Amino acid sequence: MKFDRKKLLGLVETFGKANVVAMNCEEFAAIGLDPEQQGEFARAQQAAAREHSIACPSCAALAESWEAARVELRLLASSTSLAETPPRVEMRLRQEFRTRHQTLKTRRAAVVASWALAAAVLLAAGISWSTWRAQHYAKPAAVAGSLDSAVNHSSVAKSGAENSAPVADENATLVANNEQDGFTALPGAISADNEDASIVRVRMQRSSLGAFGLAVNEERAADWIQVDLLVGDDGLPQAVRVPEAQ
Amino acid sequence: MTILKDVPDDVLLRRASRGDEEAFTLVYRRHQAAIYRFALRMTGSAWAAEEIVQDVFMTLVRVPQKYDARLGTVSGFLYGVARNRVLKHRERLPREVALEERNEDGSGKGVLLQDASTPASWAEKRERTAQVRSAVLELPEEFREAVVLCELQELSYEEAAVAAGCPIGTIRSRLHRGRALLLAKLEMLREMPRRVSAAR
Repeated sequence: MKFDRKKLLGLVETFGKANVVAMNCEEFAAIGLDPEQQGEFARAQQAAAREHSIACPSCAALAESWEAARVELRLLASSTSLAETPPRVEMRLRQEFRTRHQTLKTRRAAVVASWALAAAVLLAAGISWSTWRAQHYAKPAAVAGSLDSAVNHSSVAKSGAENSAPVADENATLVANNEQDGFTALPGAISADNEDASIVRVRMQRSSLGAFGLAVNEERAADWIQVDLLVGDDGLPQAVRVPEAQ
Repeated sequence: MTILKDVPDDVLLRRASRGDEEAFTLVYRRHQAAIYRFALRMTGSAWAAEEIVQDVFMTLVRVPQKYDARLGTVSGFLYGVARNRVLKHRERLPREVALEERNEDGSGKGVLLQDASTPASWAEKRERTAQVRSAVLELPEEFREAVVLCELQELSYEEAAVAAGCPIGTIRSRLHRGRALLLAKLEMLREMPRRVSAAR
């Protein structure tokens, strides 16, 4: 059944196109029935196959049988030539496609959301920590500040006694007396526990006392005075005290 | 869909892998019929062919990266996957006998014939087609594949070689042997009614 194509091609070239190369029965069975041959070689082959089938009745019968079989195969092919996959398959595939890609999208969104959540948690933790840290370090400073104010108060009191003019120096630090006596409750102020209240010494014009609802001597309204304000937890002044020196 | 009409398969597949359903549908519509016919002719069963087509395209949905444009065409890839599915189908059901497809009312689906013949000739043709179908289905796997690809699917030797994943020479020799076997089977089937009638 083995057939040497190179040998046949060589023979075609040797004898020229006009000469038909003799083909035996084996070669005829191997390549004589092959329709997909192109070019010079194929033409020579077909001519040789024709010659052989004229001379050999059994190969002619074989070629005839094969032609009949080809017709039957064509008939079989045509019986299913319009066959197509039922539409339900497309529907199923599209559904699967959608599900798959939506799942992927959902997964991606979930991943992004979880990263965002983690970042938010970290940020919140950072802010909380820094706030706590700021508060933690601020408390000792406040304690130190109150101690300083007590010291300054005594020095200011001394200087006040010496000079009988406590506001002589404009740049002097305003330091309040920590004693809570001598305060006058401001009209409308809600009396509350004053343990956590702080005393703030401010310098203001006497007329500003009117804003707290206190009576002001109009003749001395433009005078600058120092007052101690008792400021409650809520940050609102609850009482006022004019230091004795004034 | 009309915009994508002229877009090559590999580009459509890339788009499909990014979630473009329209691109995937177009690839499916381009190739489903050929793959279905191949599976139908190889298995002789419509439901098996349907399952195979679904499996083939499901592979594209689930693992689109399996297709590598550098290694060949989408058509060749799909034929290759379909071929593997056909083999698996045959392994799974080694003794399966292909039953004729029937309509819901139990009548046969029949054969689609292009010409309007007389009932007698139509019946004869139908019987002969059934014989040829069974002769093709009885061929050994590799020869059947070559015959189906080259004679029924009308692929060139080159395309058939890509689909079957073998050299072109192998396809040629398989086809030659397949034809010889098919001829012998068809002759036998032709002879059988004659012998039966002679015996009567």
